[in-house]
Amino acid sequence: MKILYRLNSIRKCYGSNVALDIEELTIGEGRLYTLTGANGAGKSTLLSVLAFLAPPTSGEIFYDGKRVDWDPGSIVEYRRKVTLLHQSPYLFSGSVHDNVVFGLKVRGIQGKEQRRIVDRALDGVGLQGFRDRKARELSGGEVQRVAMARALALEPEVLLLDEPLANIDRETTGLLETVIASLPARGTTIVLITHDPEQTDRLNGESILLEGGKVVIPHPPVRR
Amino acid sequence: MDFLVSSFVAALQLIGSLSPDVRDAVRTSLSVSAGASVFAALFGIPLGLLVGLSEFPMKRLVVTVLNTLMGLPTVVVGLVVYGFLSRQGPLGVLGLLFTPTAIVIGGTLLAAPIVANYSLASVRGADPRIVPTALTLGAGRLRTVGALIGEIRFGILAAVIAGFGRVVSEVGVAMMLGGNIRGYTRTMTTAIALETSKGEFAFGMALGIVLMMVALLVNLFLSLLQRK
Repeated sequence: MKILYRLNSIRKCYGSNVALDIEELTIGEGRLYTLTGANGAGKSTLLSVLAFLAPPTSGEIFYDGKRVDWDPGSIVEYRRKVTLLHQSPYLFSGSVHDNVVFGLKVRGIQGKEQRRIVDRALDGVGLQGFRDRKARELSGGEVQRVAMARALALEPEVLLLDEPLANIDRETTGLLETVIASLPARGTTIVLITHDPEQTDRLNGESILLEGGKVVIPHPPVRR
Repeated sequence: MDFLVSSFVAALQLIGSLSPDVRDAVRTSLSVSAGASVFAALFGIPLGLLVGLSEFPMKRLVVTVLNTLMGLPTVVVGLVVYGFLSRQGPLGVLGLLFTPTAIVIGGTLLAAPIVANYSLASVRGADPRIVPTALTLGAGRLRTVGALIGEIRFGILAAVIAGFGRVVSEVGVAMMLGGNIRGYTRTMTTAIALETSKGEFAFGMALGIVLMMVALLVNLFLSLLQRK
């Protein structure tokens, strides 16, 4: 297994509160991990660090063998390899298309190639025909699917999912679980926060358990 | 009461007949206010965004100063700029005093703190998910700020319109820096002050009605945009 992330002595503090205190954690390429733990265990903080959105207070992160230096210039390149999808994603005003192309425009992808990617991403989440719909007029489940399409369009190396399936109907959950479960086979690494033990089983992932900001070892058996 | 009614009727007739004096004052008011609003937006929006998006020592003090500047007395601004632009002042050689440009300069100083504060308030009130969403989709700093501006555009527009409202309705700066020169620097507000003091109440009322209509139209425009 190729190691994608290696975290060494990572601490993330908010004032005097230690939100994350991980001695060592490795995440392999093309694998699916579910991140579990009680509220306040540090799950979302860990995803923010893995998404390169929040630098740790101390410690080192290696991504694909390279030490991440959090330099404002180079961190953008790391962020472009990873996409974080929140439980309550934000859709920009405008159309579904405007949202899905946002990251593509950032990467300079335009024209026919852009259109092909957008269509494929929307098809992938069952939103054919939603291209010109206004983002603000979508239901909760549709918002979640557009946000997933927006992330999938970028074909990130890592997809970080912060309880993406909470508060949505069973049908949408089933659809998105199928999409998520298919990604590791294409080489995408998934780290997904969930409170649903059955979801971990359904997704056939490896589990990382956090308690008080620390990774609990040994974690539940590896299934893959 | 008859006086008010007859003045009102006369005012409507003046507006309807497009009196040159009314037309000139309206044109000057609108052009200097628009100019000042553009410059205030150029300074105020980046300042509001910068203060809103960054953390730095003494940020609270900066915000307090910006808030205080919103209430700057117009005559004080007029006085300070007069000092700079008068013949003996450091910028006197430019010969700008008693020109529309001088009113634009004063108006910019009046409106910029308003635009900055409203922009700052828009940033503070923005959905906290906007910036992380743009970042996680790979946007750099500039594009992220662009995305944020796009999402709070109505707040920014309201900021500029509030700045415009401040300039179009003030008297002190226009009087002190423009000199109230007929057909050149006479604005609606200075014309109202002058003509009313001369007993031309109907003329003042005509300009007052136009001023209110401008305010109404600007707000209708903003409201239409927000509905889109």
